[in-house]
Amino acid sequence: MTADASLNTRMIIFFTLVRKEIKRFMKVIIQTVVSPIVSSFLYLLVFGVSLGGSVQLKNGIPYLSFLIPGLMVMGLINNAFQNSSSSIVTSKFSGDLEDIRVAPIPHSYIIWAMGFGGVIRGTVVGLITGVVGTYFHYLQLGTLLPLVHPFWMIYFFIVGGLIFSFIGIFIAFLAKTFDQLSAFSAFILLPLTYLGGVFISIQNLHPFWQTLSKYNPLFYLINGFRYALLGQSDVDLLTSVIVSFVGVAVTFLMARISLKKGSFSRW
Amino acid sequence: METVFALDVQNLKKTYQDKVGGVAVEAVKGVSFTISPGQIFGLLGPNGAGKTSLIGCTTTLEIPTSGDIFVFGESVTKKPLRTKMNVGVVHQEIINTGFFDVAEILDFQSGYYGLYHNKERCDYLMQKLSLYEHRNKKIKQLSGGMKRRLMIAKALVHSPRLLLLDEPTAGVDVGLRESLWKFVAELKKEGLSILLTTHYLEEAEKLCEQVAIINKGQILFCGSPKEVISQYAQKKVIVFLKDGSRKEFLEHANLGLNEILDKQRITLSDVKDMKIEEGRLEDAFSKMVTP
Repeated sequence: MTADASLNTRMIIFFTLVRKEIKRFMKVIIQTVVSPIVSSFLYLLVFGVSLGGSVQLKNGIPYLSFLIPGLMVMGLINNAFQNSSSSIVTSKFSGDLEDIRVAPIPHSYIIWAMGFGGVIRGTVVGLITGVVGTYFHYLQLGTLLPLVHPFWMIYFFIVGGLIFSFIGIFIAFLAKTFDQLSAFSAFILLPLTYLGGVFISIQNLHPFWQTLSKYNPLFYLINGFRYALLGQSDVDLLTSVIVSFVGVAVTFLMARISLKKGSFSRW
Repeated sequence: METVFALDVQNLKKTYQDKVGGVAVEAVKGVSFTISPGQIFGLLGPNGAGKTSLIGCTTTLEIPTSGDIFVFGESVTKKPLRTKMNVGVVHQEIINTGFFDVAEILDFQSGYYGLYHNKERCDYLMQKLSLYEHRNKKIKQLSGGMKRRLMIAKALVHSPRLLLLDEPTAGVDVGLRESLWKFVAELKKEGLSILLTTHYLEEAEKLCEQVAIINKGQILFCGSPKEVISQYAQKKVIVFLKDGSRKEFLEHANLGLNEILDKQRITLSDVKDMKIEEGRLEDAFSKMVTP
């Protein structure tokens, strides 16, 4: 933005982009919010309630308590990723990226706005998953799901949402076909999520897999979030905070590069 | 005092690298021209002449290979965010924002330029372009003409000083085309500077004060339509014969009327009436760009 553009002008531009992102996913709420919540509900029912009773974790936490934070993060990151990537892909189809590119909007505004759009959608899905999970928790264990460190929960909601929104921007700008976009989801995002500790504690894994999991950045995000809720996790909080913060910086940079060099051509 | 042009294109070059074949394609080859404030300027050329690349460089959708473009004295390459505030663009291809209705689209478009309470301007444009009654419709519910009008409304929400119209009437029926040109003429009266590309040369001739004929990335001629015509299009002599037929032929500067008729083997006694028709921009254009 130019030096003489008032703060008010900058704020209007930024919040217009955020508002547009939110309105866009709210227009298709069944697909963007309700459907992921149904998936989380089924995960809770099948893995948490039905099978979870027979799973014993080494740290003594009930499996349902362990699972709910993982599912909340899974809802957060999947929806943050899908929000920004689908926003760009649909814009590639419609051509409305051109309106944004010819307007006086700095690239950083576009990235942050899409990032916060993803955070909001991911947080809505994550929180509702948490509320449904708490209900199951109460039914199954007779207590509500604890929330030991609310500040850290908010922190991980924001950084987790931002990281995966930025990754969504990166992939969507570089992708030239739907195939390339779904290949990333299927071959990278999904394995990282499943092996990052959503459903399992690494303490229950073979040492080889334990070591490998430590190279998965998602592992730190999931465990940081789990610490915020339960007060304990497989990794110490500081490591999770540092890794996730670095993750935001790195993925922001990736998104910036893709916006500069990526493909804008219509699909 | 130094003249500040609405648009000043200085030795602009745009080369595309073909990533597959490795062959560079020179879309714009050192083009220069200026548009004075309040002027309608027609950029005319066949498909692939470099018009859209030039507009792309003005709007920063494309990065010039060399040269520069100035909008009201400010460099597009050095101060893109400032120049963008002064420019409105109507793209050649229709933008189909599927999620939102007409009013929402104009509201977002205003926001992109830092305008929050812009309802009055949006309503004015919707009324002016006969979109007001369709303001709650989504783009897919609009006809082709309405979509074009919406694109024009979008380009004008922030009251730009320079409007770029990249073939705004492509695929539009005659009636709508006329109303759009009428609207463009009104915008000129309001002081807006306009760069227009179109394949409808007759209309460009009527509307534009200056035109540039571009072909294969180079400007072949720049001047008023009259200047282009006088240099490149000859007058036509139309002879109506007494037997009811008519004959047309080009006027020769060095020949008198009798000599022309002789050359056509027409005797003066066979002639019922005759008239001389001015050359047209279309004739000049064809002469210049036809290989």
